[in-house]
Amino acid sequence: MTADVSLKSIHQMFGSFQALDDINLEFGAGEFVVLLGPSGCGKSTLLFILGGFLTPTSGEVLIGGANMLQVAPKDRPTTTMFQDYALFPHMSLRDNVAFGLRMRGQNKGQRNIRADEMLDLVGLLDKAHHKPHELSGGQRQRVALARALAVDPEVLLLDEPLGALDLKLRRQMQEELKAIQRKVGTTFVHVTHDQEEAMAIADRIVVMNHGKVEDAGPPEDVYLRPKTLFSANFMGDLNTIPAGLANKGSEADRIICARPENIGHKGEINLGNAVLESSSFFGTYHRCHFRISGKGGQEYVAHLPVDDLPKLGEEVQLFASNAVALEHSS
Amino acid sequence: MRMLGWAYMAAIFIFIFLPVVVLVLFSFQESRLPVPPFDGPTLKWYTQVIADRNLMEALRNSLFVALISAAIALLLGFFAAQGLSRVKLPGSVLMRGVLIAPMTVSYLIIALGLLTVFNNMGFRPSLWTTGIGHVVINLPLCFAILFAAMGDHQKNAERAARDLGASEIQIMFLVTAPMLKPALLAAYFLAVTFSWDEFIIAFLLTRFDVTLPVEIWSMLRSGLSPATNAIGSLVFLVSIAILIILEFTVFRKPKS
Repeated sequence: MTADVSLKSIHQMFGSFQALDDINLEFGAGEFVVLLGPSGCGKSTLLFILGGFLTPTSGEVLIGGANMLQVAPKDRPTTTMFQDYALFPHMSLRDNVAFGLRMRGQNKGQRNIRADEMLDLVGLLDKAHHKPHELSGGQRQRVALARALAVDPEVLLLDEPLGALDLKLRRQMQEELKAIQRKVGTTFVHVTHDQEEAMAIADRIVVMNHGKVEDAGPPEDVYLRPKTLFSANFMGDLNTIPAGLANKGSEADRIICARPENIGHKGEINLGNAVLESSSFFGTYHRCHFRISGKGGQEYVAHLPVDDLPKLGEEVQLFASNAVALEHSS
Repeated sequence: MRMLGWAYMAAIFIFIFLPVVVLVLFSFQESRLPVPPFDGPTLKWYTQVIADRNLMEALRNSLFVALISAAIALLLGFFAAQGLSRVKLPGSVLMRGVLIAPMTVSYLIIALGLLTVFNNMGFRPSLWTTGIGHVVINLPLCFAILFAAMGDHQKNAERAARDLGASEIQIMFLVTAPMLKPALLAAYFLAVTFSWDEFIIAFLLTRFDVTLPVEIWSMLRSGLSPATNAIGSLVFLVSIAILIILEFTVFRKPKS
């Protein structure tokens, strides 16, 4: 099952602290949405509001068009995959996965068939009778996913589920998560503070900061055409270009920015002559620090192709392409 | 140096177990006094003890009071721990303190207080009043053990169960209690042994039906006899049995 989600002017106060400030979002059915932001930005709070663990101070939550505010977590068409997996340690994997169906009154035979299907989906069918403590972190995480999906929710909420895994396993789980989401078609709302993870899995990224939505859109838009300076900075490295150089003078209150991979030997904006001060090798590119010649010259970070590296101290003419103009505030 | 260590260990064990060994040994004494020299072995005191109606009834009473009062203490302690670990109430630290406080009060004071209260309310001393006294001393113990066992881990699993559609009753029976099983069993059996051994409260709050420690005490008033050693050995055997059961069920480390 799958459903669209709509959040209308959500406000959340914790005492005098404003955790969420006028959140308005629409997620389409079957979308993989990632809420991205630094810790304390309100992304987990928003997830808890969706799951029903928290009632917002004001605002509306609609899932599949139905108002959810008076609906308890157990009656919502949502399930949650928690950060620490929260598996039941005294139950076998099969019983863990079948728990939600048991609560819905399904008989043992039926629910075990469904549990085995879900365990098969995450590749753990052969361990169905094991207990959670016999599994590795990545496997527990898969069980938590199977358990949350077994009840066929319309929306699956994922609260930093990959946070406890090491980098390699995390990348692998991201791909699996995305593949499983495509297969089941459920709307996924995933919380993370890792922008690479967000770009790897999301159909849509929602960048949050200080309880507000900074930016929302497909990963390409959020990375290449960010709406705010915060969003641009959070998604990756950024070079600021003096306003005078770019032909965007009409927007005097804006900052012109370009990603390191858009700084190089050609482009629309001439940055002037610059000296290579340092570089480091990253496998697919060289990360170079340039400084514009002359005193007080500005510094730029550029990602240059591996076969095209100037010598240290060499002076080259630097250009920027695909620059974006961003608002000064926020 | 190494020898000294072994000698020290032996000394400690002798210090702890010598009284018990002497008690058990002289329960097999042939003559009428449990004093050296040992002239047994014989089982006649055991046959006498087992044939003694008063003693056997006291033993049944003790078991009855221990099993039931421990169950009530466990239930009340579980509810208190569950409530105080889930909800942040104003003064919850104070409430925890008050719940645990009876542990620091001597049994004699608790017994005197209960005796006064029961007298004023018109309750006659009985096994029931003793049972209530044992709930009073065991409730703080059960509460403390269970409260310590409830952590974030527990709360997160409960939240996951709620998310998957479980009602609060289902959560308690299917998630909370099974997860706390080791702590629940440990608290229950500790409460049983404490009640089983307890003398002062039982002495002051029973009259015609008495528990085993009270019966043993009245036997001792007529002087030492290997029969008291025999009943003491039996009591010791029961405690050891409970301990062994606990060791093999509750405290056994899960494999992995």
